[in-house]
Amino acid sequence: MSKFLIKLLHYPRTVLIVLLVLTVVFFAKMITNSRMETDLDEYMPKDHPAFSYSDQAEEWFNIKDGIIIAVENKAGIYNQQTLGTVRDLTKKFQGMEGIEKKDVTSLYTADNIVGTEEGLDVKAFYTVPPEEQEELTALQNRVRSNDMAFGRLVSEDETVTLIIAAINDDVFSQEFYREILKTAEAYESESIQIHVAGRPIVEGTMALLGPADMKKMVPIVIAVIILVLYLSLRSARSTLLTMGVVLLSTVWAFGLMSFFSIPIYAVSTMIPVMLIAIGVADGIHLYSHLQHFTDRNPQATKLEAVTDMIREMWKPVVMTSVTTAVGFVSLLTSQVYPIKYFGLFTAFGVLGAMVFSLVLIPAGIMVFNLPRRKNKKESKSAFHIPSGIAAGIIKYRSATLFVTIAVIVFALIGIQKVWINSSFLDKFERDSEIVLTDAFINQHFGGTSTLNLVLDSKENDAFKSPEVLSLVYTMQNSVTDSLHAVGNTFSLTNYIARMNKVMHADDEAFNSIPDDQDLIAQYLLLYEMSGDPENLWKVVDYDFRKMNVNFQLKSDNSKTINTAIAALEEYRDDFDKLGITMNYAGSGYKGLVFTELILEGQIMSLILSLFIIIGLLGLMFKSIKIGLIGSVPIVITAVIGFGVMGWMNIPLNTTTALLSSIAVGIGIDFAVHFLEQYKLHSVSGDKLLTAQRTMDHSGIAILLNAVVVISGFLVLLFSVFPPNRELGSLVSLNMFVSFIGTLTIMLIMLNKSNVYFNKSKEQ
Amino acid sequence: MKNSAWLLIVFLLTMVSSPYLFAQSKTGLQVIESVYNRPNGSDMSADLTMTLINARGDQRVRKIKQFSKEFGKDEKKIMFFISPADVKNTSFMNWSYGDAGKDDDQWIYLPALKKTKRISSDSKSDYFMGSDFTYDDLGDRLPSEDNHKILKEEKVQDELCYVIESKSKNSGYMYSKTITWVVKDKWVAVKKEFYDEEGKLLKILTVEEYKTINNFLIVTKTLIKNIQTNHATEMKLENIIIDGGISNDKFTERTMTKGL
Repeated sequence: MSKFLIKLLHYPRTVLIVLLVLTVVFFAKMITNSRMETDLDEYMPKDHPAFSYSDQAEEWFNIKDGIIIAVENKAGIYNQQTLGTVRDLTKKFQGMEGIEKKDVTSLYTADNIVGTEEGLDVKAFYTVPPEEQEELTALQNRVRSNDMAFGRLVSEDETVTLIIAAINDDVFSQEFYREILKTAEAYESESIQIHVAGRPIVEGTMALLGPADMKKMVPIVIAVIILVLYLSLRSARSTLLTMGVVLLSTVWAFGLMSFFSIPIYAVSTMIPVMLIAIGVADGIHLYSHLQHFTDRNPQATKLEAVTDMIREMWKPVVMTSVTTAVGFVSLLTSQVYPIKYFGLFTAFGVLGAMVFSLVLIPAGIMVFNLPRRKNKKESKSAFHIPSGIAAGIIKYRSATLFVTIAVIVFALIGIQKVWINSSFLDKFERDSEIVLTDAFINQHFGGTSTLNLVLDSKENDAFKSPEVLSLVYTMQNSVTDSLHAVGNTFSLTNYIARMNKVMHADDEAFNSIPDDQDLIAQYLLLYEMSGDPENLWKVVDYDFRKMNVNFQLKSDNSKTINTAIAALEEYRDDFDKLGITMNYAGSGYKGLVFTELILEGQIMSLILSLFIIIGLLGLMFKSIKIGLIGSVPIVITAVIGFGVMGWMNIPLNTTTALLSSIAVGIGIDFAVHFLEQYKLHSVSGDKLLTAQRTMDHSGIAILLNAVVVISGFLVLLFSVFPPNRELGSLVSLNMFVSFIGTLTIMLIMLNKSNVYFNKSKEQ
Repeated sequence: MKNSAWLLIVFLLTMVSSPYLFAQSKTGLQVIESVYNRPNGSDMSADLTMTLINARGDQRVRKIKQFSKEFGKDEKKIMFFISPADVKNTSFMNWSYGDAGKDDDQWIYLPALKKTKRISSDSKSDYFMGSDFTYDDLGDRLPSEDNHKILKEEKVQDELCYVIESKSKNSGYMYSKTITWVVKDKWVAVKKEFYDEEGKLLKILTVEEYKTINNFLIVTKTLIKNIQTNHATEMKLENIIIDGGISNDKFTERTMTKGL
């Protein structure tokens, strides 16, 4: 291997040109063929039972996410202007591309089931906005007396009314969003304010805001890394070549993705993050070695220097990269395709970075000469500091161990506080427009998020049975009354109770499920004959074997959804006795399951990669003990990383969960380079000297590596998008903990375990 | 204006439009009126099977016994559900009037509630028994409510048809226009397209079968499909008896409560 690499040193220009051409090819592929995937449904494994059931239920009942348009008039909505606005906006949305006419609900389209002296009628609340006060008051009373509209479409204080436009998942785009906002804004006036909210808006804004913010921040991150790298390496060439490795590996990874026509998912944006954090390491270690060599051999030619660098360093570079890559490949165990791709292509990028480190950097040095470093003297005197530290750490190892254990215990307590959150809304600033609008609507109405409970029976007409419907009705009311998080509920029972009431001269005592199945069937027939039966098929299926119960939730975060589900689960046994199964559907629920799935996969892959790494390190260093010691920084980093998330109340979501992969990648880099140097220096036979030399050689490189990456990622703290801020702080934290862990606890364990020294004695 | 002047205008108009008049034996309005007024006996009883089909192809079948009778310009109809069992004996009565602008009267009797209730209909856009048909679609709409125009003639199901476009005289009607294929000389509308307020195709009605019974041409099988929701309804009439002599008392609230 090293022979081949050294041979390449004789054709540096050819190497550079070949790499450049290949990169241009990948780059062209990436530019022409890459596609962002923003439809979150595309992320979910379709064959997972929870998703496939939910997808089916969405089709059965036409369950879609709704854009919520709130029309507010502080003086009250019952006036010609406000009602006219509602009508005009409803019609505008009905006619919009991507929105189906029947999927728009407002006071203008809603069915009002009313009892008349002689019978029942289903009619519109209004068709022409009334002018006369008398008619307006009549309309007001119609709404007030209909709890299918009051509190649902009109707020109880009668200052806000909603228009809900359900859309398909794939409709949302930047243009669509702009069009909606523009349409809504056009109807604003002095007295009328219009607010737009709903999951598609939140999802869509997030899908656009996150990458947009990254686009802005990443150049600054890279600039800072370049700057700090330059300050550390004190050479423009070395800096450029090291960054070149990162850049090329990223371009190759994305180019290969495009080549296989794999779209760019939101998690794919983490690939460059990983490659930046991991890819600079090899360069730093190579240059660090080169520096040591030229310091000791000032007369050496560049060929000699680079040859030595390759000979000594190719092994740890290959080892770290292969191990890291294997760690990422373990993500293939995930059930989520974007995560599989993420693992696979990051692994490819890591291996790419390895090749470039071993080929591009040497070729670059051959072409552009050795780095010229300023302030040569400083580095020599600096030996005392790292070796002093090494001696100190070993001397005070009890204290170090104690502190480490304390921190780990503290982190373990924190881990128990870690919670999963699939909320999209929680990713925005608390005072952002989107969060405020959501809060506004939640305050006036049942809730902006929906949970669908799907009841499934084996028998036709099961959901005409009074026994079943009464249970559903009881469940709906009790859950809504007892849980603050559940603001509203709606199902077939509400139609039947409403009809029962109006057929009994609007007597509130009959606002319930009648106990005669035939009567229920006849009410339903009556409704079908009088109203628009399409509305019925949103809550029950054709054979009355399946039923969809809607719950409006005050928040889309996982705690809220889980609380609601826990309350509903209490009824599972009761339904079971009636031969009815319970399932959940809707995008909020799918998001929750999805996040849990990602997390499960992440933990599985973390454990798996840990075993693989211990095995690989054991093989490479021919000692399982070394393998175990080498994995210690990874474990510490992961534990502290999750612990801090618990203490800082940072929930686990698709992005933060993936960060444990960084712990693996960085941990290996640090551990392997350190172990390799330790092994090299152990020939001296002096344990303390070995530790000191390793610290001076490898420790400094690790420090540089940590400082470079941390300073780069700290830039993300200035991001306007909270998830990106979390990303920045967590990457920095992982880096820092890995660095400290390697140089303290791993050093102590190496020192304590006597590896290499026992062996040399035996020999 | 003097009578002679009127005559002159009529004469001139006839002169101007004569090639059109002679080339086509009927105007659009006349064609539609011929369909509306096609004799079909003074009373009829039949078994109606209504099959509702949703977008996924699920079906619900309702069997209904129906009676109808002409009362001059008006028509009265009474129907009893036979199945499904849970709505058996639910009955429905509809009186529709020949006078333009007068809404239908409708009653429903729910045996489980033992009460007859009136269903008021704001407009004739109400759907018939949860089907895709409105009362208008079923032939209730007066020809004078629309402006009619013959678009062309073409063959449908091997029969030469007039193709008539009808647009409501009043704005705010649920259809922006309908296009009807009427078989020449038989005056049966074998196909009809309904366009929604935005001008998009909403429904297609197809007559799948019509028979001669007692010398009357009776449509016996119709399919209507909502193109926008993919919901469809098939209506099939069997055991048709025309002019069997149904008594006037049949069409009362009392009959509704008695059941079949």
